[in-house]
Amino acid sequence: MVRPHGIKGKKRKTREEKYDREEVEEAKDTEAEVKESAKRVSIEKPTEEAQDKQEGEEDGVPDLVGIPIPRSDQNTKKPGVIFVLEKASLEVGKVGKSYQLLNSDDHANFLRKNNKNPADYRPDICHQALLAILDSPVNKAGRLQAVYIRTEKGVLIEVKPHVRLPRTFKRFSGIMLQLLQQHKITAVGKREKLLELIKNPVTNYLPVNSRKIGFSYSSEKLIKMRKYVDSVGDDEDLVFVLGAMAHGKIETDYIDDFIAISGYPLSAAMCIGRITEALADKWNIL
Amino acid sequence: MAKPSTSEAKTKKKAKKKGGKKSGPDAVSMKLKADKKPSPFESIWSRRKFDILGKKRKGEERRIGHARSVAIEKRKKTLLKEYKQSTKSSVFVDKRIGEQNDELGEFEKGIMRSQRERQSKLGKKSKFNLSDGEEDEFDDALGFGSLPEKEDFEDEMLSDDDYDDGGEGAKRSAILKQINSHGAQDSSEMGLLEGEDHKHKTKKEVMEEVILKSKYFKAQKAREKEENEQLMDDLDKNFTSLVQSQALLSLTEPGKMNEQPDSYDKLVNEMVLEMRARPSDRTKTPEEIAREERERLERLEEERQKRMLATDYSSDEDGENVEIDSAQRPRAISGEDLGDSFALDEEPRSKKGWVDEILERKDAEDSENEDEDASEDSESAEDTDEDEGSEEQDDEEREKTLSLKDWEQSDDDDIDTDLDEDEDEQEHDDAIGDKEEPKGHIKLKKSEIRKDGKSVDVKKPKSGVKHTSTESEMPYTIEAPRSLEEFSSLLDNLSNGNIIEIINRIRGYNAIKLSAENRKKMQVFYGVLLQYFAVVANKKPLNFELLNLLVKPLMEMSMEIPYFSAICARQRILRTRTQFCEAIKTQENGCWPTLKTLFLLRLWSMIFPGSDFRHAVMTPAILLMCEYLMRCPIKSGQDVATGSFLCSMVLMVTKQSRKFCPEAIMFLRTLLMAATDQKLASEEDCQFYHLMEMKALRPLLLINGSVDEINPLNFLTVMNMPDDSSFFSSNNFRASALVTVIETLRGFVEIYDGLNSFPEIFLPIATLLLKLSQQRHIPEALKVKFNDVAQLIKKKADDAHDLRRPLQMRKQKPVPIKLLNPKFEENFVKGRDYDPDRVRSEIKKLKKLLKREAKGAARELRKDNYFLYEAKQKDKELVEQERAANYGKAVAFLQEQQHAFNSGQLGKGRKRRR
Repeated sequence: MVRPHGIKGKKRKTREEKYDREEVEEAKDTEAEVKESAKRVSIEKPTEEAQDKQEGEEDGVPDLVGIPIPRSDQNTKKPGVIFVLEKASLEVGKVGKSYQLLNSDDHANFLRKNNKNPADYRPDICHQALLAILDSPVNKAGRLQAVYIRTEKGVLIEVKPHVRLPRTFKRFSGIMLQLLQQHKITAVGKREKLLELIKNPVTNYLPVNSRKIGFSYSSEKLIKMRKYVDSVGDDEDLVFVLGAMAHGKIETDYIDDFIAISGYPLSAAMCIGRITEALADKWNIL
Repeated sequence: MAKPSTSEAKTKKKAKKKGGKKSGPDAVSMKLKADKKPSPFESIWSRRKFDILGKKRKGEERRIGHARSVAIEKRKKTLLKEYKQSTKSSVFVDKRIGEQNDELGEFEKGIMRSQRERQSKLGKKSKFNLSDGEEDEFDDALGFGSLPEKEDFEDEMLSDDDYDDGGEGAKRSAILKQINSHGAQDSSEMGLLEGEDHKHKTKKEVMEEVILKSKYFKAQKAREKEENEQLMDDLDKNFTSLVQSQALLSLTEPGKMNEQPDSYDKLVNEMVLEMRARPSDRTKTPEEIAREERERLERLEEERQKRMLATDYSSDEDGENVEIDSAQRPRAISGEDLGDSFALDEEPRSKKGWVDEILERKDAEDSENEDEDASEDSESAEDTDEDEGSEEQDDEEREKTLSLKDWEQSDDDDIDTDLDEDEDEQEHDDAIGDKEEPKGHIKLKKSEIRKDGKSVDVKKPKSGVKHTSTESEMPYTIEAPRSLEEFSSLLDNLSNGNIIEIINRIRGYNAIKLSAENRKKMQVFYGVLLQYFAVVANKKPLNFELLNLLVKPLMEMSMEIPYFSAICARQRILRTRTQFCEAIKTQENGCWPTLKTLFLLRLWSMIFPGSDFRHAVMTPAILLMCEYLMRCPIKSGQDVATGSFLCSMVLMVTKQSRKFCPEAIMFLRTLLMAATDQKLASEEDCQFYHLMEMKALRPLLLINGSVDEINPLNFLTVMNMPDDSSFFSSNNFRASALVTVIETLRGFVEIYDGLNSFPEIFLPIATLLLKLSQQRHIPEALKVKFNDVAQLIKKKADDAHDLRRPLQMRKQKPVPIKLLNPKFEENFVKGRDYDPDRVRSEIKKLKKLLKREAKGAARELRKDNYFLYEAKQKDKELVEQERAANYGKAVAFLQEQQHAFNSGQLGKGRKRRR
C-alpha cells in the first residue's frame, strides 16, 4: 500500500511557512501561489500587494496600500531552546479494572495499598510545567525546539512544540495515559506525531553545540536569569533541565552547569516562567 | 533472579496438581524433567518491560526456552512418527487400553488395564475357571491389580513406587470418578475396588442415619413449638399488665391527656371557615380593550342622542333633525315619528350602519384614490376644484387618472418600497402635478379655504349628522373622515382640547384592532390628519398649541400604521424636494422652507428614529434639511433664524447616530463669518470651501453697537415677522442669533468629537471664534461663550491629535506557530479500536486476526520444516557414517591387501621374508 501522505505532507509544510491564513482558500490557488512565493522577495510584486490587501480586509484593519512591510527574518537560523523535564511522575496503574494515570488525589488509597507514597505521584507538576513552556511567547515565536520528559520510571517522551496540550488536568491525564499505552499521539486529521515515546538516553536528541543547564534550589550558583542568558553566546542552543517532581533533586550526568535562579525553592512552572521571560527579553519577543 | 525461581517452583506444583488435565506432551515432558536435570535454558523466564502498578502478574510470564523444548517434544511425537512411517507400507496400531487417550498417564493406564483384566475374570465364564495360584498371589502382592499378561512391562515398572503416596490419593480418586462416569462397572466391582468400611455404610448404616436424622428434626420442631407458646403467654401477661398502666391510656386516648387544642388544630378549624380564593379576571387583550372602548363610546353616544332628543323635543328643534335625516333617507321620518325612546335607542345605530354602507359602497371604488388624495397635499384638491361641476364625472375621471396610482400604491403596500418604484411614482407625480406645482405652494392656503367652503355642498351625506350639536355636545362615535373637508367640517369652531378629543374618539371608535377594514379607514384618517396638521401649520396666525396637541395622536397613529405613515412622509418629502428644486431656480423668492415644512420635518424627526443607519424617512429628511442649509442663500435675518433652526434640528436628529453633516457646520461657520468684519475673512478659509459654492454674505450678524440684552429668540415670532422688519437689523437680534449659533455649534462639537478629522473640521471655526471674541462690540456673555467653545474645540482637537499615530511601517503581527490538536480518547482502553466506522474497524480486526493466524501457521510450518530437516539430516548423517565406515573398512581391507602384496605375503603358504 503506497500512501500519498508523504508528498502531501511536504507540500503542506512549505505552504505553512507563509500562508497561515489562506488555508481556507482553495488548494489550487495556494499551490499556484506557493510557486510564486519562492521567487518573490520584496513587496514590489503586484501579486503580493493584492494579497496583502486581501489580508488586510480579512483582518478588518484598513491597511494602506504601498506602506512597506518590514522584512521578516524568519529564514535565518536562530538558536533554539530545549526543555528537559526530569523525574516526572507519569505512571500508569491498573486501578480496579481500568488503567489510569496515577495521581495523589484520586488514587491515594490505591497507592497506599501498594506501598507507595502518594505524595510522589504528582503528574500535575508535569502538566503545569508543560503548559508554561508551550504557552510562552518563546514557543509562539517558534524558538522552542522540543520538550523532553523523562519519567521516574525512565520512560522518555518527546513533546513537539506545536502541540496544543489539553488545559484541564483530567484531559491531560487521558492523553498521557494513551501516550504511555500506545507510545504515540498523533494530530487530529494528520499522521504527524505530536507526542511520542522515544529511546533513552535523551542526550541522543540534544543538539551538538548546546549548553545544558540544570536547575536546582540546592545549587551554590545563585544567579539572575537574565544576566545568565545574556552571557550565553548567540549561536548556542540552550537546553534547560528541570525536575518535575515533588521532592528531590535531578541527577543527570550530561548537565554542563547547575544553577539556582531564586533564593526560594520554585515550582517548575514558575521556574520555566522565569526562564522563558528572560529568553523572550533577550530575543526581543514581545 | 529470586522471583523466577519461586515462580518456577509454583508452576511445578501446579503441574502436579492438574496433571490429569495436562496435555500429553506436557505430561511427557514433565516426566522427562523429573528424570533428568532441567536444561538451564528452560529456566529462563520472559520478563515484562514495564511493571504496572496494580496489575496482577498471573498469566503474564512465559518460559521461552521451555516452550521451545515442549514444542520439539511434541513434534517428536507427531511429526517424527509420521516421517518415520512415511516410508513404511504397513502400520503398527496400538490398541491397548488408554493408549489412544492422551490425557491418561502411564499409571492410570495401568489401573484401567488391571480393571479390565478383573472384569473379564469375573465374567460368568471365567467364574468357573480355575485360577493359577501364582497369579492371585501376584495380585495380592501388588495390592491393586497390575496386568497378568505381560503386555506392557515398562508400565508395571513405572507403577511401582515412582510416586509417593501423598500425591497418589488425589489422583486415584480422580481416576475412580472417571471410571464411575463411564459406568463400566457395578457396585460389586466398586466394592472390590474400595475399602470395606465404604461398603458397609451403603446398606444398613445409611438407613439408620436417615431414621436418626428424621427423629432429630421432629424433636427439634416440637421443642420450637413449645418455646413459641411460652413466649406468647409471656406476651399476653405483659400486655394485661400494660393495659392497666397510664402510658397506654395516654396513647389510645390523647384527648384525655391534654385538654387544650393546640394552635395547629385551631388554625385548621379556622381555615375551614375561611373563604376559598377565587380566580381573578384574566388580563385583557388589546383587542378586548379596544372593543370595550368602542362600546363605551357607543353607550355615551346613545346617551347623548337621548339627551339631545330631549332638548330637541322641548325646544322644538325638530326641523333640524328631520332635515338631517331626510337628507339621508326619506324613510327615516316615519321611524322618527314614532318618537318613543325605545326606537331611538336603536335607530342611530342602525342609521349609522346604513350610512356606513352607503359610504363604503360609494367609496369602495375611490377610497384608495381618496386616501392618496388626502395624503397628498393640494394637487388632488385642486383637481377636484377644477372638476367640481359634476361629482360623478369627477369620480370617474379620478378613477381613470389615478388608476395607475392605485396600482402603484397597492403595490407599495405589498412590497417593500423599491427605489425604482419610488422613482416611478415620483415621475408620475411630477407628470400629474407639473402644471400646478409652481403655484401650488402659494395657492395651498386658498385651495384649503375653498375646500372648507366647499365641504358644505358635498353631496354625500357623510357624517354631518354629528356636528349639528353644540361644541360641548360632541358625538362619541365618529366614523373616520375620508377627506380633509369632511374632517375640517367636523372640527369647525371647536376648541383645541375638543379637537383632540374628537380625534381620540375617532381613533377609539375605529381602532385597528377592532376589525380589518378599520385599518384602511385609519390609514385614510391618518392622511387626513397629517394634512390637517400641515394646514394648521400653514395658518396665520399660528395655532401652536393645537399643533403641539396634534403631535401626540399623530405619533401614536404612526406607531399603529408605521408603513403607511412612512409612505406618507416619503411622498411629502419628495414633493417638498421637487418644489424646492423649482424654487431654487428662481432666486428671487426665498427658497427657505416654510413653517409648514419645518413643522413637518420636526414631526417626522419625532416620529421616526434618527439613529438608524438607513431609514426610509429620516435619511431623505436629513438630506433635505442639509440641502436647504447648503443651497439656500442667506439673505435676511429670517433666513438666519430658519437656518439655525434647521441646524439645531439636524443636531437633534444626528445626536444619537453621530452622522456627520458637513452642511450644518458649514452653515454655522458661514453665520459666524457673517458676524465678523468683512476684512477679517481671510483667504485661508478658501481652501476649505473650494468645493462649496461660496456664499456672498453681507455682515448680517455683525454687531456694530452695544447690545442691551440677549434673550433667546422665539422662533415663531421671528418667523411671523415680515422680512424687512427692523428687528432683524437690531443688535439684540444679532446677539441672540449668535447665541443660538454658538450653542448649536457646541452641540456639534460634542457630537463629532469621535471623528478622525475633528481638528480639520473644527479648528478653523475655533480661530474664527477667537477672532470674533476679540471684536469690539461683542457683549461679555457672548465673548465668554465664544471662548468656551473655542477652548472646547481646542481641547478636543488636541485629544484627537494625540490619538493620531505617525506614519510608520505597516505593522505586522507576529505570526504564532500553528498549533495542532492531539487526537486522543476520553476513556482510552488499550486494544480497543476507536474508529467511528464500525464496519471498517471490524474489517480491520478480522484482517489483523487473519494476519496473525497466517503468521502463526507460517511459523509452525517453518519450525516443522526445520525439525524435519534436522531429522533427515540425522538420517543422512547416519547413512553417511555407515557409508564412511564401510568405505573405511573396504579401504582398510584393500590397504592391508596391498600392504600384504607389497610385502610379499600374497600367497598363503608363503612366509614373510625379510
